[in-house]
Amino acid sequence: MENIVEMRGVTKRFPGVVANDDISLKIRRGEIFALLGENGAGKSTLMSMLFGLYEPDEGEIFIRGERVRITSPTFAAGLSIGMVHQHFRLVENFTIAENIVLGAEPVRRKLGFLPYVDMRAAGAKIAELSRRYGLEVEPEAVIEDVGISIRQRVEILKMLYREAEILIFDEPTAMLAPQEIEYLLQILKNLRESGKTVILITHKLEEIKKTADRCGILSRGKLVGVYDVAETSTDEMASLMVGRELAGEAAPEEHEFGAEVLRVEKLDVIRDRMKKVDGVSFSVREGEIFAVAGVDGNGQTELTDAIAGLLRSSGGAVTLGGEDLTRADVRERMEKGISYVPEDRHGVGLLLDFTLGDNLTMRRYYEEPFSRRGIRDERAIAEYADRLIERYDIRSGRGYSTVVRSMSGGNQQKAIVAREIELDSRLLIFVQPTRGLDIGATRAIHEHILNQRAAGKAILLVSLELEEILALADTIGVMYGGRMNRVAAARELSIDEVGAYMTGVRQ
Amino acid sequence: MDTVIIDGLSFMMPLLCIAVGGIYSERSGVTNLALEGLLGAGAFVGALFVAFFGKLFPETSSAPMYFAMAASVVGGAVYAMLHGLLCVKFRANQVISGVVINILAVALTTFLTREINSGVFQAPSDKIQLGVSPRFDVPGLSKIPVLGAVFKSVYPFQVVILVVIIIAWYALYRTRFGMRLRACGDNPHAVDAAGINVQRTRFLAVMISGALSGLGGISFAYSFSANFSASIYVGAGYLAIAALIFGNWKIVPTVGACLLFGLARSGGYKLVQLLALPSSYSDLIMILPYVVTLLLLIFFSGTNRAPRALGEIYDKGKR
Amino acid sequence: MKKRSRVTRLLVRAFGDERRQAFTVPVFAVVMSLAAAAILLLAIGKNPVAAFRALLSGAGFLPKGSYSSGKGIFTDLMTTLSSLTPMIFAALAVTVAFKAGLFNIGVSGQMLFAGFLATVLVGYSALPGYIARPLVILIGIAAGAIAGGVIGLLKYRFNINEVVSSIMINYIFQYVIGFFILTKFVDPVTRHSKAIVKAARLVPSGVQIGRYKTDFPVIVVLAVAASFALKFFLDRTRAGFELRAVGAHPKAAQYAGVKVGRNIVLAMTLSGALAGLAGVAYYLGYYDSITPKALSSVGFDAIAVSLLGNSNPIGGLFASILVTAVDRGSTYMSSAMNVQREISQVITGLILLFSACGAFIRHLVNRAREEDK
Repeated sequence: MENIVEMRGVTKRFPGVVANDDISLKIRRGEIFALLGENGAGKSTLMSMLFGLYEPDEGEIFIRGERVRITSPTFAAGLSIGMVHQHFRLVENFTIAENIVLGAEPVRRKLGFLPYVDMRAAGAKIAELSRRYGLEVEPEAVIEDVGISIRQRVEILKMLYREAEILIFDEPTAMLAPQEIEYLLQILKNLRESGKTVILITHKLEEIKKTADRCGILSRGKLVGVYDVAETSTDEMASLMVGRELAGEAAPEEHEFGAEVLRVEKLDVIRDRMKKVDGVSFSVREGEIFAVAGVDGNGQTELTDAIAGLLRSSGGAVTLGGEDLTRADVRERMEKGISYVPEDRHGVGLLLDFTLGDNLTMRRYYEEPFSRRGIRDERAIAEYADRLIERYDIRSGRGYSTVVRSMSGGNQQKAIVAREIELDSRLLIFVQPTRGLDIGATRAIHEHILNQRAAGKAILLVSLELEEILALADTIGVMYGGRMNRVAAARELSIDEVGAYMTGVRQ
Repeated sequence: MDTVIIDGLSFMMPLLCIAVGGIYSERSGVTNLALEGLLGAGAFVGALFVAFFGKLFPETSSAPMYFAMAASVVGGAVYAMLHGLLCVKFRANQVISGVVINILAVALTTFLTREINSGVFQAPSDKIQLGVSPRFDVPGLSKIPVLGAVFKSVYPFQVVILVVIIIAWYALYRTRFGMRLRACGDNPHAVDAAGINVQRTRFLAVMISGALSGLGGISFAYSFSANFSASIYVGAGYLAIAALIFGNWKIVPTVGACLLFGLARSGGYKLVQLLALPSSYSDLIMILPYVVTLLLLIFFSGTNRAPRALGEIYDKGKR
Repeated sequence: MKKRSRVTRLLVRAFGDERRQAFTVPVFAVVMSLAAAAILLLAIGKNPVAAFRALLSGAGFLPKGSYSSGKGIFTDLMTTLSSLTPMIFAALAVTVAFKAGLFNIGVSGQMLFAGFLATVLVGYSALPGYIARPLVILIGIAAGAIAGGVIGLLKYRFNINEVVSSIMINYIFQYVIGFFILTKFVDPVTRHSKAIVKAARLVPSGVQIGRYKTDFPVIVVLAVAASFALKFFLDRTRAGFELRAVGAHPKAAQYAGVKVGRNIVLAMTLSGALAGLAGVAYYLGYYDSITPKALSSVGFDAIAVSLLGNSNPIGGLFASILVTAVDRGSTYMSSAMNVQREISQVITGLILLFSACGAFIRHLVNRAREEDK
């Protein structure tokens, strides 16, 4: 079969990292080619070069056998390459049809001179496309009124409208519900049937197994190899992906839990007029790691934000050590004993343009010794910061006076974890504490979490990585569609079961 | 009653022209507080044309006025390039840029007016005389009772602006350019992903807003002040901003807002006259547009929505 | 990596790191605008060096050729300081709002409101100076604080953009106060409000000091003190930290336990209070009456002045001095050099224009530094 895409020795460096290291790859016309790898393995960077967002530092790219320099997405579109990004790029106040034609508008002339965009012609073409590929949309609906799954269909239609032949999907199922995933995978197959080449960036093995023909595996910027999906087991793929045997880190030994610390009862949270958390109840005890598993966007963030007091709940109750905190604000909850490592490090967890010292004290800046009678004590802040910097091995250019924005992601996260642990709270909430971090930083943070458990703290951990959950959890709660679908001791649940609850296969 | 409608409309049309200019800029995502400066700079260029070439035409000819209008359109657009450059290319804060553009416009135009009057015409003055535009009645229609006033004592610029607004409406909502422009103000990333140059689109939008403001400005100069001087800067640009916010950044509702503002103004003057109050009472009427806009924002803050990407600097690299 | 010319590299090095840029970038903007002004002066056939000297002489920083009796470089300087005071306060007003992530373009309106209230309540009373002057200052602070606080409340309660509400409120003040002045307090000759009594004026005029008869703007000391106080407040106090946190990272501030809405109102109240001080220093200090139906340009200039001062209270102090000097020196320059007086506004405009480009210069320099690493 003909190779539609070929990469030879492609290398891309960013300050401090080699995102792609000497990658050579051939993709055949009319296949579904999966690109598998962990977070940060370099999948998105590689495909961004194919789509013209970056240019390779070294190496060559061939499309249909011809050497090309893809300088921009527009140029890529000219080569009939299209991409659906993780974050959709849609004009919210435009209709679906307008979004699809934007940039490739059919222009006609009224009365022979008045130019206008012929939306009727566009509508007909869109209707034809959505019939052919089974992509149901209502062309007149406005984007701000439709959900994620529909928006994704619009993105796909955008590519098809431009007659793209090579379709790149970047983690297309990350935000979708199970039925929606099934629907999407079917569409990918439909696309293959009609001769399109599909490149699927993912870290979900099941999807690859279900749809892909071949699979390229990336690990830490290098191409491990390209495998026939039919002939490779998911276990093999998984171990190739992580670059080590998934020797299930020994399930945590059984141990006794202390008294109940956090109790959440029938909690409801409404955000953007949608019920994101729906009647969730659970409790966490001293010395227990309660891990919440689930696909991104199933209400985990809203749940923890509501427990920490950043979002107001619309129903139910949160109690800490028997004390009702449902009406308390963020600070009161912190003072009563809730530490929170939020999901959004840059937007929520840090004052990015402030110094490391300010950030290490940002939850307690208002009280002594950091402030006395309304005046900040810089020396006390510096001393405290220096202690934490040393104890938690936080690396920065200028010590406590470093602006946090200039620090690496791993050290930023260490700073947050250090700050929250030092609050010495009864309850610690960690949301995706190791996302995007390298192995070393990940290990350090896991160690901190385990030490806190050993110290008798109650821990609520939210993660999207099943591996992380299985490695740390005493108890697992699975969230799906805003509900806590299943709560059980970690040793009673197999990975397959968790997967089934997470994807809503079991309710 | 007639004078209320006549005066109201003759104030409304230039205001609308400036407001639509503002809509072009803001719908593309560029906050435009510079309207005040743009209308002045545009009117200045128009007046300059009259000062230099007005003598070449017979005294009664209204040709210089039309040339002045054309010159104002060009002048406004050229001066607006400065705002475009600052906001689009130089990533300046758009609010600050707008304020600075206004300050500079007032300074430059008054300085140049004096400099040119004394240097070129040897007649020190801070004004450029333009005179008041002639008016006309539309035959037949102006005889209709009450509503006929719409067609009575019409300034030619009102007709010109009417045509321009219709074209501007069509261009914004029906053409490819308008569609892309509106998309830039909502999600520039989507526009960029579709292979459209966001920066160029925004730059053009700002230029159009300058052109329309210039046309509005020279119309004020030819009706209310009869000259070009610093007195052109009485806040029409800011009133236009109030109007376009009142109109929810859409052209048709903004027409209504301008009409309301225009009639409130002329009606207020009339009322003060009828009640035989001192003329300063009419100043109180002047606050009406601002009060109603503020009230609208307080009570309908949910439905009144600025373009989503308004004021956001679009950085291609940042994704 | 792109090859760069030696000049560019030198320039990039001269700008220095982020800390140094706080100083170098505004200076660069000033140099650029003076260069642009020099070109303009050359274009109309004047000697720019002589013109700038005349500008400084007029502002009282350099001696003039000759003075009329009772006048001297000292009196010129005093007049400049008197005019400087409202600019300093106004720039501080803009700065404090900006630190909280807000634009106060209503400074001029707040100035007018404060100036009017103080004029009406104290300016025509028979109170002795030692009561009247503090009262004027207090009324200025209170009136400004209320006017600014309303804008903060509108933002907090109704989510109305502060720029929009400021514009509306500016005009409402302008016309309503114009109405009252014209109907109640007008001086039939000047068409301004009637001049306030001497005892209430914050800048005593005609004070005999040595052989000079001069304005004596003690109030400028208050303005300078306010600059340092604001600097201390922002950098060293708990409330200042909260305000900056809200301005820079509102979500993180909420997470840190800071009340975001309350800080927005607080910042606008503080900003309004400073604008109110600017107002009384302007209408009951530099001037002694109010022009009806007009907003002072000080409040708008202050936005760019604050920016030129790198949104730092002390930087704003220097930027205020620069802009005021250009403005005050213009009368003398226009007569000495035979150019139109308005050229000073053009120079000011150019300074502000280039300072608005500061972010871009910074961006270019940092990108170049990044690539050279």
